[in-house]
Amino acid sequence: MSIKENMLCSKSHEYLSDDGDNRFTIGLTDYAVEQLGDIVFIELPDVNTEFKKGDTFATVESVKAASEIYMPVSGKIIEINEEVINSPETLNEDCYEKGWLVKIEATGDVSSESKDLLEYEDYKEELE
Amino acid sequence: MTKETFLHDKHIALGAKMVDFAGWEMPVQYTSIIEEHKTVRENVGLFDVSHMGEVFVSGKESVEFLNKIVPQDISKLNYEKAVYCQLTNKNGGLIDDLIIYKLGILEYLVICNASRIDEDLNWMVRNSKGFDVKIDNQSHNYSLLAVQGPKADELMRELGLSTHQESFTIKPDKIAGIRVLVSRTGYTGEDGYEILVENNYSEYLWDKILEEGQSFGIKPIGLGARDTLRLEAALHLYGNDLDENTTPVEAGLSWSIPKDKKEYYNGKEVIEEQLKNGGEKKLVGLKMLDKSIARHEYEVYYKGEKAGVVTSGAPSPILGANIALAYVKNNKEICTGTIVQVMIREKLHDAEIIKKPFIQKRNKIKL
Repeated sequence: MSIKENMLCSKSHEYLSDDGDNRFTIGLTDYAVEQLGDIVFIELPDVNTEFKKGDTFATVESVKAASEIYMPVSGKIIEINEEVINSPETLNEDCYEKGWLVKIEATGDVSSESKDLLEYEDYKEELE
Repeated sequence: MTKETFLHDKHIALGAKMVDFAGWEMPVQYTSIIEEHKTVRENVGLFDVSHMGEVFVSGKESVEFLNKIVPQDISKLNYEKAVYCQLTNKNGGLIDDLIIYKLGILEYLVICNASRIDEDLNWMVRNSKGFDVKIDNQSHNYSLLAVQGPKADELMRELGLSTHQESFTIKPDKIAGIRVLVSRTGYTGEDGYEILVENNYSEYLWDKILEEGQSFGIKPIGLGARDTLRLEAALHLYGNDLDENTTPVEAGLSWSIPKDKKEYYNGKEVIEEQLKNGGEKKLVGLKMLDKSIARHEYEVYYKGEKAGVVTSGAPSPILGANIALAYVKNNKEICTGTIVQVMIREKLHDAEIIKKPFIQKRNKIKL
């Protein structure tokens, strides 16, 4: 598993990776995917939908249960990953490269909104 | 504090993900629920179900006592046979579902759900007043292992099973040299066995079964796959599909209730009336017509009106579709083939009512 560069993680297990130009990729961390087990269904929002930090923007279902996924920062959806809708198991295989969920354009002040997000190493430590 | 079975360390060593279930720390999966599910359908799986309750009932009036607490006729239960039963309250509601085994003359074993042991015992003791009967909860002294799948019988023979056992029978035997009670029952829809063993021998037996089972493709199976397996077989889960406000008739269990039982049992008036006219609701099987998954407590709609509630739902690894059990109004219009809608995250999704069980059960095969 390779983790992304310029990536921050939320305590609710979303990652936010900086693509430059105020654009970001959002997905689920390897820890989240491992905890969920076999992922069988993913519901993503429509492109152009706007969400505030903390809003539920997607649902990921494992065999056992449905989990809500939250926006780590405020933003407008500019692209969704069709591949994970068709093959949800992609998240189990590679949550960082092929298994991202959405790309957004930030609509808020990212530096202040990302204050409660953690570097991957700190996030990992927090889990222990 | 959560309780641990005697096999707890084995689960940890096998890398199981542990969860709290009915106050017990239990393995939910070892590798993958889907993979474990398929192992049981194709080969054989080993389950630790030691959290379940074992209550021994004996004494001069044990038949009369048992006949008062379940709709089934225990006087007709033969030696070394098992019967699926329900513990009903005065209104016919389900306190629990059980398997009762006849171990000897005036000696019975009641296996109950882990989540219901306290309620069951309380109810049994209250109902035993005036009966010459002994109720002995031995849940803390026994471990229960389940060996389930098309290769279970062959594996059990390798392990020393000495006699042929029909479905729904129980016999003392020696498995891997250990004295155990073996019953040909299960909760997967597959052929298989359940082995009751004294706690001290459970780790040894667990290892032996996994070792001998290697050539049969055995895998340890967690509660996650146990749930999807039982759902495909449309076997009820207490707390999801059964509760004190639901009768056996409403739960689709009329087949298990004798129509000619003379003795009174708790809830008899209600149940007999419902056997004739049906209950307020009925349990149906659903197949989602899109990729969405119906889950416990999601609402069911018919012709734009709320018509019921989903009690269990999950993907079926064998059918490749998402299935569910739901209670709907006891309305003739809502039947097999009817399209209903399930409310999922504020949107209605079509589902078809299909026949239960969702798969062909293989545990009734007579060899």
